[in-house]
Amino acid sequence: MTDIRNILQDADPLRHEPPPSEGERDRLRHAAVAAAADATASAASAWFRAPTALMAAIALIIVVFVAFGSQSWPPGGATVQAAVRFEVRLAEDQAASGLHEARVAGSGRTIYLHEEVVVTNADIERSAVVPGSGPARFDIGVRFTAEGARKMREATANHAGRPLAILIDGDVVMAPTLRDPISADALITGDYSRAEAERIVNGISIR
Amino acid sequence: MTTTLPIAVPGDQADRLSVLFDTHYDRLYRLARRLAPTADDALDLVQEAFLKAARSPRAVPVGLPGEEAWLVRVLINIRRDQWRKAAVRRRHDQTIGHPSGVDSGQEAALIARATIWRALDLLRPRRRAILVMHELEGLTIPAIASLLGISAVTVRWHLSMGRRDLARALKLPVGESR
Repeated sequence: MTDIRNILQDADPLRHEPPPSEGERDRLRHAAVAAAADATASAASAWFRAPTALMAAIALIIVVFVAFGSQSWPPGGATVQAAVRFEVRLAEDQAASGLHEARVAGSGRTIYLHEEVVVTNADIERSAVVPGSGPARFDIGVRFTAEGARKMREATANHAGRPLAILIDGDVVMAPTLRDPISADALITGDYSRAEAERIVNGISIR
Repeated sequence: MTTTLPIAVPGDQADRLSVLFDTHYDRLYRLARRLAPTADDALDLVQEAFLKAARSPRAVPVGLPGEEAWLVRVLINIRRDQWRKAAVRRRHDQTIGHPSGVDSGQEAALIARATIWRALDLLRPRRRAILVMHELEGLTIPAIASLLGISAVTVRWHLSMGRRDLARALKLPVGESR
């Protein structure tokens, strides 16, 4: 009887060849990590390549301010308040002391919010409308500031497998289960219309 | 507004790729070397698999078993695409046709091993991978089925056909090995 296993083991190149050198390994590792960094950078630049509609919205805001002059500005030179209030909070699936019950918009799901706010508008460096899951559906890309990224990373480091609540104007618009710690970027996949996504992005950006 | 999709978490993809590479490189190279004609081809296979992971980070499942299965399947698919092109085999033929710098005894052994390895090239990469994982890596049939996302019956069938094809290619008496 022919034993294929013995034949294969005898011919196995791993038994007769030296393993790849550390240099080869490092070369491959470097290429793969560089490709990952490039992919991240490309995705980010695609997010933050200002779309025409966003530029138009910014231009409109400038026009409105010019048209109404100083009457448009808050008295005393106070900071302009964000038109859209953005918050991220940790949440739980089970009720517990100190948590606030909230319903996730559009799903009927109930979650329980932590009191502390992880990040707000002030922690967002930029946001942009991003093509979504369908031809007329849009998501919102958010890039946190360095301080915001640090807060997110620290807050989410030990929260894997539990929900994270994204609140817009006080409503929980989504509460995804956290897979990995979040740091610099997040994508709010809210399945928005373009108008709604632009309203949120423009509102988040003003602070 | 509906919120049907989970949040995507880009995080630091370069960091994740580093960990992915360090965790799976050795295992992936061992499989690649047993699927490819030469060590250089094996390194190319491994590099392609990790580049695919780098370009599609969200396609890579989170967690060791999922990552490994994804990488192994990608690697086999890349090898399958290469296998379909005759260029790889031609290069291999040239390589084994010119052993140099060895004495006659070493040369005979080298040619014998190369002949067996060339015969393996006749097997479709997935069948070859199954044979290699079972006979050389010692994986059980259920473990291979889980890794490749196919049924145990299919694995068993590929094993049987692989052994038969290899025995025929080597003009050996056909017999079953365990």
